[in-house]
Amino acid sequence: MKNSKSDFSALEIAYRQRYLTVLKHLELPLQEHVAQYLVEQPRIDRITARAKGIDSFLAKSKNKSKSKLKYSHPLDQIQDQLGVRIITFYLSDVERLDAIVRRYFTPIEYKSRVPDSQWEFGYFGRHYVLVLPTDIIDEDMSPDMLPGFFELQIKTLFQHAWSESEHDLGYKPREAPLTDDQKRRLAFTSAQAWGADRIFNELFDERHSEQSTSNDNTMPAE
Amino acid sequence: MPVQEIHTFLVHPGKSSRDQIEINGAPVDLTGNMFDLLNAIYSKSEEECNIGISFRPNNDGEQQNDCRDLLIGYLKSPSLDSGRLIAERLRENTDGRSGMGLLFLIRGKEGDQHKVVLSRFPTDSAIYVDEDKKQLTVAFLERVFMKNKTSYKAVSYRDRSLGSGGFWTGKAVDRQRSDPATQLSDYWIANFLLSHFALSGAAGTHRFAVALRDAVNKASGEVKHELVAAATLAPNMAGKPTSIDDFADQYNLSAAAREIIVGSLKNPRTSRETFTFDVSEFRNFIAYKSVELDNGAILTAGTEKFDDVFTKKALAKAGEIEYSTHGKIVDEKFKKRL
Repeated sequence: MKNSKSDFSALEIAYRQRYLTVLKHLELPLQEHVAQYLVEQPRIDRITARAKGIDSFLAKSKNKSKSKLKYSHPLDQIQDQLGVRIITFYLSDVERLDAIVRRYFTPIEYKSRVPDSQWEFGYFGRHYVLVLPTDIIDEDMSPDMLPGFFELQIKTLFQHAWSESEHDLGYKPREAPLTDDQKRRLAFTSAQAWGADRIFNELFDERHSEQSTSNDNTMPAE
Repeated sequence: MPVQEIHTFLVHPGKSSRDQIEINGAPVDLTGNMFDLLNAIYSKSEEECNIGISFRPNNDGEQQNDCRDLLIGYLKSPSLDSGRLIAERLRENTDGRSGMGLLFLIRGKEGDQHKVVLSRFPTDSAIYVDEDKKQLTVAFLERVFMKNKTSYKAVSYRDRSLGSGGFWTGKAVDRQRSDPATQLSDYWIANFLLSHFALSGAAGTHRFAVALRDAVNKASGEVKHELVAAATLAPNMAGKPTSIDDFADQYNLSAAAREIIVGSLKNPRTSRETFTFDVSEFRNFIAYKSVELDNGAILTAGTEKFDDVFTKKALAKAGEIEYSTHGKIVDEKFKKRL
């Protein structure tokens, strides 16, 4: 696709149609589909699913890589048109849920997102691009309107809280970009969330192992 | 005409071999009998290839796959050289059991979508017979490549984008995959294509087990018995590629039983999708079998053991059954509800 106004206008029409006729209708079935595999899992705060907003999709479709448009076919290439987020309590829960996600879904990508350098703080979390399950598709949905994949994230409560606030502050359309000082202060909050996650996980591990030891000691002799 | 290019390569087995045999290839003319055969394969590929597959990410979890890279390279610049790289990959994954094969790469355009079909004809020997009014000539032919053999393999991909995000999923056929004698189920999809089924074993089995459980709960009479018997036998499928339709064929389920299973699926079309049967997942749903009698008795045992644990005898009074069992009492319970 060329970088012209008419192309973006055609893309907006096409995505709006997809958004309204298919993606919005898949939010709940997708959320329920993921949730069915996690019914017996402890410490899940919530599971949410969302269709990517039209403005957000169009903004992403204009992303550039080496001064060229990154996506030649945004409708086919942008893989987070549907997104699911699993929010859990502790970092060790993320590992446990990772095994379940990879058991029930087919990934074309999986990674732990961390900032580029150990001196930086920003976005943390587990991220996957997964084949869209056909269970959730209605028979009357046209295959051409369906994305092939969806994005799934697993985040702790602190990772989730930080990324939501950061997104709200940093990605408002038509607002000036963040200043260096504002970015530094955001990095500070990320570092604090990172530290809180570590401490909570350590506390959980300690309490958990204390409880296991205590249970072992109170076991009746055979 | 949708087909724009065809290349073919003779691929010798080369797995674990130091001396690789050079791969010879040739373009195929887009006219004549040969083209008609290949054009039919291309046109019917989406019906014939019925196993949904997806390329695997690399070991770092990134969206990069060596086989997909070769495929994209061929689609961007179709030539004997770019096609030979795919043939070389097939050679490196082919051992003596699969033998020599003839690989076809058929590239086309369908509207604004790129399409490519990879088709491997296995080698065989045959007898050629020529008959005229006076005589019959018989000759032995080596290196005959036949599509209608049990080991024919193909894969079809179709997408708009040759860039990132495109050509990650396709449809395959592998007539060898369920042949237990050859144990070659991994050769085409897992090793050569570096792919896995689009539906994971656990997800496919979960879907099937839920549908079967719901079907048993909805069914009555003979159909219910049929479904319970099928559920009891299902663990024999452990580790095997199957689909709900394949399962129904294998256990010769009646039309009514199939209908009630498929009707219990959220999307009935998913009954065709292939997955590897995961017996531990199945047992999560079909762990216990219960029989309730009209006198209020409820008998429960592990699904696979039920018929061993309880002896069943038909009584003279129509429809009446006597169950008997024996053993030591290890526990007794009250339950709020079943």
